[in-house]
Formats: sequence, C-alpha cells, structure tokens
Amino acid sequence: MAMVVATATQESGQQQEIGAEGNQFLTFCLGDELYGIDILRVKEIKGYTAITKIPNMPSHIKGVLNLRGTIVPIIELRTKFGMATIDYTAFTVIIVVVVRDRIMGLVVDSVSDVVNIDKRDIHLPPEFGEKVDVSFLNGIGNSGGKLIALLEMERLLSDGDLQDTAAAVAA
Amino acid sequence: MSRVILVVDDSPTMRGMVSHALTEAGFETKEAENGKDALIKLTMMEVGGTKPDVIVTDVNMPEMDGIELVREIRKLSAFKHVPVLVLTTDNTDEKKEIGRAAGATGWLVKPFDSELILKVIRKVLL
Amino acid sequence: MNGDYSKFLQTFFEEVTEHLSVLESGLLTLEQNPNDVEVLNRIFRSVHTIKGAGPMFGFTTMSRFAHKVETLLDPLRNRKFSATRQIIDLLLESADCLNMLVEAAKNGTVIDENKTVLDLEARLETCMTVTAPAPGQKPALYPSSMAPAVPAPVTSTHQTYQISWKPGEDLFQRGLNPLKLFEEMGRLGTVTSCVLATSRLPDLADLNPEHCYLSWTYTLETDYPREDIESVFEFTAPPDGLTITALSSSSPAAQPPQEPDPEPARSVVDEEDDPRLAEVFFGQMSDSLGAILVEQKAVTPAQLAMALDHQETLRAKSKEKKVEASMRVDTEKVDKLVNLVGELAITQSMLSALGGHFEIKHLPILQERLLQLERNTQEIQERVMGIRMLPIGTAFNRFPRLVRDLSAKVGKNIQLLISGEETELDRSVIESIGDPLTHLLRNACDHGLESPEERVAAGKPAQCTIRLNAFHEGGKICITVEDDGRGLNRDKILAKAIEQRIITGNDTLSDDQVWALIFRPGFSTAEKLTDLSGRGVGMDVVKRNIEELSGIVTIKTVTGRGTIFTLKLPLTLAIIEGMTIRVGEDTYIVPLLSILESIRPKADMVKTLIGKGEVINVRGACYPIVRLYEVFNLQPEHKNPAEAILVILETEGERVGVMVDEILGQQQVVIKSIEENFRKVDGVAGATILGDGTVGLILDVRGLVKLARQEQSIAV
Repeated sequence: MAMVVATATQESGQQQEIGAEGNQFLTFCLGDELYGIDILRVKEIKGYTAITKIPNMPSHIKGVLNLRGTIVPIIELRTKFGMATIDYTAFTVIIVVVVRDRIMGLVVDSVSDVVNIDKRDIHLPPEFGEKVDVSFLNGIGNSGGKLIALLEMERLLSDGDLQDTAAAVAA
Repeated sequence: MSRVILVVDDSPTMRGMVSHALTEAGFETKEAENGKDALIKLTMMEVGGTKPDVIVTDVNMPEMDGIELVREIRKLSAFKHVPVLVLTTDNTDEKKEIGRAAGATGWLVKPFDSELILKVIRKVLL
Repeated sequence: MNGDYSKFLQTFFEEVTEHLSVLESGLLTLEQNPNDVEVLNRIFRSVHTIKGAGPMFGFTTMSRFAHKVETLLDPLRNRKFSATRQIIDLLLESADCLNMLVEAAKNGTVIDENKTVLDLEARLETCMTVTAPAPGQKPALYPSSMAPAVPAPVTSTHQTYQISWKPGEDLFQRGLNPLKLFEEMGRLGTVTSCVLATSRLPDLADLNPEHCYLSWTYTLETDYPREDIESVFEFTAPPDGLTITALSSSSPAAQPPQEPDPEPARSVVDEEDDPRLAEVFFGQMSDSLGAILVEQKAVTPAQLAMALDHQETLRAKSKEKKVEASMRVDTEKVDKLVNLVGELAITQSMLSALGGHFEIKHLPILQERLLQLERNTQEIQERVMGIRMLPIGTAFNRFPRLVRDLSAKVGKNIQLLISGEETELDRSVIESIGDPLTHLLRNACDHGLESPEERVAAGKPAQCTIRLNAFHEGGKICITVEDDGRGLNRDKILAKAIEQRIITGNDTLSDDQVWALIFRPGFSTAEKLTDLSGRGVGMDVVKRNIEELSGIVTIKTVTGRGTIFTLKLPLTLAIIEGMTIRVGEDTYIVPLLSILESIRPKADMVKTLIGKGEVINVRGACYPIVRLYEVFNLQPEHKNPAEAILVILETEGERVGVMVDEILGQQQVVIKSIEENFRKVDGVAGATILGDGTVGLILDVRGLVKLARQEQSIAV
C-alpha cells in the first residue's frame, strides 16, 4: 500500500480531532509496512498458538482461541488487507485488543516498538478513491522518519464480520 | 479501641444499612439475624472476653423476637447492663411500655436516619 | 437515610421479592388451613418488613399500603377473627398490588394511585370494621420526640426550668446511666442548682446495688424549647417520674418534687407523611460533570464522547440482562466449599513438595497425589455447581395461584398436584423454565381439560387433575406436566397440518411425528381463540425455549385419557455431556442429549431416494444423511458413508444421520460463549476448552440440520 503524505500546511483546514486516541501506539509489521494501534486498546501480546477453525467464515477470520478461559476470535490481518498470506514464523504473534467490550486477536508478522507520536505528526490518510478502502485508517503517523499506518479499530473490526449478536440472532 | 455494636434484624437490608451508618461513624459492628442468633453471638463474645457496648435490635423477627431477646439478655449476668435499643415501627406508648418493661434501654422508631440513630447511640453509651 | 444507601437498594429489592413470594404462598396455604397461626405470623412478618424498610428508601406508597395490609393481618394472627375466602381473595389482590408497587419502585415508574391502590386500601379498611376500635387519644406516657422530626421552629426565648426526675428502680438494669443524661441536659444551657434526694435509700444491708434509689431536681437556664429537655429523658416515663416546670426567669426557687402530671399528647410526625420523597437515582456521569472535565482539560471532548458512549452501551447491556447480578447462597454451601478449597491447597502443596526433588522412585506417591487432586477438583466442581442450584419449587411457586385463577376463569374444576419441588437445578434454568411451564399449564386448562359436564358424561370424575412433577434421571432433570383430559386428537392434528400445508395427504407419519406437529409455528387446532391460548403462538415458543436450554420436550397422549408433556433438561446450562467426534483433522462435540445411536453402516443400508436425497435405513426407518464435511467445508477422511460412522441425532421430532470419521470419546464439557466476543455461528451452539487447552466447538443440531437443508435444498 503506497502512501503519500500531504503536508500539514496544505491540510490545515482539514485538521480535525483524530479520534479519541492518546498518542502512544504499539507498532507492528505486515511485510514491509508498519502499522500502529492505540496502546490503550492493546490487552496483551501472545505468541501464536493453535487456533480452532470456525466453519463457513470469511477467510480473514481464522477461528477462535482460548485466552485463559475466554473464547476470542482471531483475525488474520494480512488477509483482511488483501495481502498474500505467509507461513508463520517464530516472530508471528497475536495482538489481543479490546474493541467495544469485545476481546479479539490479530495475527501479525511481528511486533515492533511502542512509540509516542505527537498529534502534529499524525496526518489524515489520503484519498485513493474506491480502489482502496482506507476507512479503517485513523491517520498516518510519522515517528523518527518512519511512516506508520494508524488503525481505527472499531471500523476495522465491525463491518460485517463481527455483527452484533442481536443482529445475527434476529437474522 | 473502637466500640462494638451488635445489630440484630432479620432483614439483611436493614442490618446492612444500620451497620453501615454505624461503621461510618467509627463503630465496629457485629450482626445477628434474630434473637436466637443474637444470643449465640453474645455467648461467643463472652467466651472471647468481649461484649458489645450497645445492642440494637428489631422487634419482629422469626425464632425469637426483639422483646423476648431483651428479656433474655437481662437474665445473663455478663450483659445485664448493656444498653439495648429496640427498633420499632410502632410509635405507640403501648409498644414503648412493653419494651421498657422487658428491660430495653430505649427505642428508635422506623424509619429513622443515620443522624438520629447515632444521636441515640451516643446518648446511651455508658 | 442520609449518606449513600443506594447500594442497599438491590438487597432491599431481593429481600422484598422473597417476602412477596412468602406472602403469596402463605395466603394459598391459608386457604386450606385458615387457622394456621404459624403461617399468619410468617405472612405478617413479611408484610411488616416491607412496611418498615420501604420508607428508608423513600417508597412511601408501598409502605403505606403495606401498613394497611398489616392492619388487617394483625387481628387475624391474634385470632380476633378467622380468614374467610373473601378475606383471602382480598389479601391476594393486595399481594398483587404490592407486587405492582414493588415493580414500579424497581423501575422508577410512577403509579396512578387513584385506581388500584386507594380502592384496595378502602376495601381493606372496610374489612377491618369487626376489629377493636381504633386506639383512642390516651394521654401520652412518653415524651414522643423519637420520630424523624420535621425541624421544629426554634423559639429563642430564654427560660429557666425546674426539672425533677425520680427514676424507677430498674434504671440501671435497663442500661441507662443518669450521668450521661445529666451531661446531655447540661449541654442545653446552664445548670444553676442541683438537689439530690436520698429519701428512698434503704439501709446498707438492704441496699441492692443494681437498683436506683436516688432522685434529682435541677434548675436549668436555657434557650432551647421544652421539647429538647424532654428528649433528653425520652426513655424515661412512669414509674420514672419526670416533671419539667417553667419558672419565672428570676426565681430559681426549689420546689418539692411532685408527682408527674401527664403531658398532653404531642403531635408526632406520622411516618406516613414522610416529607422526604427521596428519588432513587443511580450514579451517573451527567453531562455537566463531563463538561467540567473537558474544561479542565482532564479529558478531550472525544474521550468524553467515547466514555459516555461506553457508559450507554453498558447501561443498555445491563438492562438487557434479566438474570440478576447477585444471588443469595446457603451459607452452608459456601462453608463446605471453603473447606474443599482448603483441601485443594493442601494437595497442591504436597505436589509442589514432591516436584521439588522428584526421583523416579516417587512415582507411586505422585500418582496417588494426582488422584487426590482429581478427587478434590471434582468435588469442588460439583459443589460450585451446587451453589447455583436451587430447588425447582421456586419456579413452581406461582402455579397454584395460576391454576386457581385459570380454573375460575374457564369454569372448570381443576386441581394441581405438585411433587418433586425439592429437586435442585441451576438458577438460570429455573428462571427460564417458568414461561414454558406456564404455557403448558394454560394450554391444559384451556384446551386439554374438559368441562365438568363433559367429564361426567365420559365417566370421569368432575374434577380435573394436573400433575406437575420434577425428578432427576440419568444426570438430567425431568419435569412432567400431566393432565387427565381429552388427550390429543390425531385426526384433527393431521387435518390441520394438511390444511396448513405442512404435510401432504399422502405422508405416513408415526404417532410421535404427529404429536410433534403441534410444535410448528402458528399451529393450533383450537376451535376458537380464547385469550389464554389458541392463537397458535405458544407451543413452538415452548419448544424453542426448552431447546435453548439444551433440553428436549416430548409428548405422550391417550385419546380421552390425557396427555403428558415431558421436559428433559441438563442440570446446569453451563455443563453438558458431549460426544467428541472427528472429521478429518477437526474435532467437534455433539450434545449427548440429542444422540440416539451411532452406527457403522453397511453399504446396503445407504440409499438414495428420489425427492429425499441420501438416506440411511435403520431397522426400517429412513433418515436423511448429513455430510458434516460438506456443511462445514472440511476435509474428511472418508467420503463414503459405508466407511464412515453415522451418528443418528434427533431434533424437533425428526431424525438425521450425521456422517463423521471417528468417534473419539465422551466427556463433560463446560459451555463457553462464542457470542461474547464474536457472534452467533450457524450450526454451532457454543465452545468449550478441551483438555489440551484448545477450543472445541459444540454442534447445534437444529442449526446444523437447517444448514444441511440449505446446502442440499431438499425437502426432508
């Protein structure tokens, strides 16, 4: 996913509140690209363990996992972002996040650092038109010269695949 | 060393609220569900070498009601002179007389607020 | 009460609910034994408690109404008169009204008092006219300043009072200390004189140190009103003689103690006029607080929005949950559990010790300790489950009343016999079982049972009998609702089913399949709709409710003799017996309750029928085959049924054979929710944690069959 960063001066009129997130992010890798999640959302980081498949699910939903007695769904982020899947390595981890009272896990290639990104260094994601859906990006952050795609967890994990239980039951 | 108050009432809500009011004011509380239970708790306290500074009891309880409890307390030498307050919903002189005759120190009419019960407790504390 | 007592609100409601239940069941018992004093006392106490505790939370109407009920119950329990049917009916109505008031209090809604409450209060009062006259205006013996006082206007005149007090001999024996009273009195102003009277003191030899023989006369200058002085001595009265005389401000003349003259009755604040109509509201972060926080830059507007949002979802969630968040548990059960946990800790430390310096020669000891551990955990598991168990009687409680009212309504003579109330099952099952049972009872009363004339004509006793029974069997709980009515009519049901195009005229159905038809949505053979039932919306809901509890419901009936509905439920919702099966590399768990049998079919048992697809012939009956690997998109080991295993399952009166590679075993599984963090999955009822820590999926048989049909789109 190529990224173009617009400068602050050009976007001055569009600088709006970038979510309710603080400015500490856990960064992780998918291939060459760096992504970030608001640290407040991160519950823990687990090594990859056996996941139980759930039948008839979209391919990015790998299955569920036992997290100390709670059943947690696991999402393969590469698949979600339309990237090719790779074999898991010793660095493959599951980032356990909390989104709207649900606990979920994200499979990523590896985790990187926790970084502080000042609000001024976060810019709105550019518009790519219909080709690429960037609704789940909160913004692009700049930390020490590296570009980090900051994920908007609620948008990422609530369209379609994880419907409210109520809606699913009513169906 | 804080003062100990024994709260006797079969309603857990009332017990809880009275205890709460008292502990907020710095007292230590013990609880019993009815007359019989209270006597057992008192016996245990006696064995342990302590006794309550005040006993607060409801009247209407199963097993043994408050009035009977007061009578029994007055029979025990260890607790003969412990002040006993009776909680009653009845404001009639009749009821007060019955309590007094049984040996109660004083009474509180429900509903009461924490200010009132603390005032009365302080008054009867020996 | 001042201070934060809202947390006691929940305990209050729990308690009141129990008391209301005691009240109703007590009244019904009373109907059979109107002179049972014990029951009367129990009911009285329950109403009394509600009356007393209500005002502490500001529920004045509830309390006032309870008081009226109590006023009728008091003479009853004192045998002033006996409880007639009319009185009991009135009391039952009052119990309903109390119920309504409590519900309203719980939900914070306001009741239109004029209609029900005042009407009932009036009727309760009229009922009381036989009792002793209302307490007259006797002069008060005691200074009555004990009620929660509306602050009286303070008159700030300076006055001198002479206070003579001659306490009764038993003063000390009541735990009163005169010194404390004098201290309190002294705080009201200035004591200018004190005279001690020792006239009652006997000789030392006759003196009882526990008696009070002294009396005192004080003069007190004070700005406080007389009531305040009286309140100091509030617990004293004749034979405690108390006289308070106002003296002219300048003459502190000592006067001889006089006999007390009774004070005129002081107006007491009637507890029924409690001006404190405290509204109960639960702590909430109001917008204004949020605004302050934002202003102080403690939070950003976005964080505030998120927090408010979160609070909203929580509130919505908590409203959804009907299950109570707290529960009352037998202390004995808890104590036993505490002991067991203690034993567990011991076993654990023994194992630790062993593990510290383990040598192979210690192996037998290790095995023994592990066995001990197994026993400990098993017992703890049972006990913990037991904590959630309650006798089913609590669910059966409302039925006598229900049947009584129903039988009056439909004009039939119906008696309800209940047995097995002490059978225990999980709290949550009890909560959910009420509705389906209610519907079955309603159905029986309305349709299943005949009118007295019909019954006599048929040679049956005029009185109908419904038997409600509960018992444990084979690790499950069975509840039966049996009536001696008409029974189900096979032809009528078939006719209706054909009319509703559920089946065709050519289908042959076994009796069981015919009875199962009544569980179809919208199905009813009732000739007319009554407002009890007959709308045909009931039985399918009953079935669904039971299945949601992982249970099954079956029917047996004999035309003309009656019908018996049997509900079979697991002891707890949380644990079921499951059979573990394997398809390829995936394992699933099938609820044992649904399994009829498992077979390794021979090739000639498998057929393909036109219009029905693949079926398996088991002793003459043909069941459709469900290829689990197709429905779930798995990689099986075997695709040929003759090489695989077929597990015959039953759901909704129909049977299917599910094809699996291997049966791995049977085990108890603890059901965990998938929906909590994910969503409902078709064909999957829940999940469990297997022995190796991985997640195992539990099949939802009904859902699976539905999925299979969608896959194969064949009418079964």
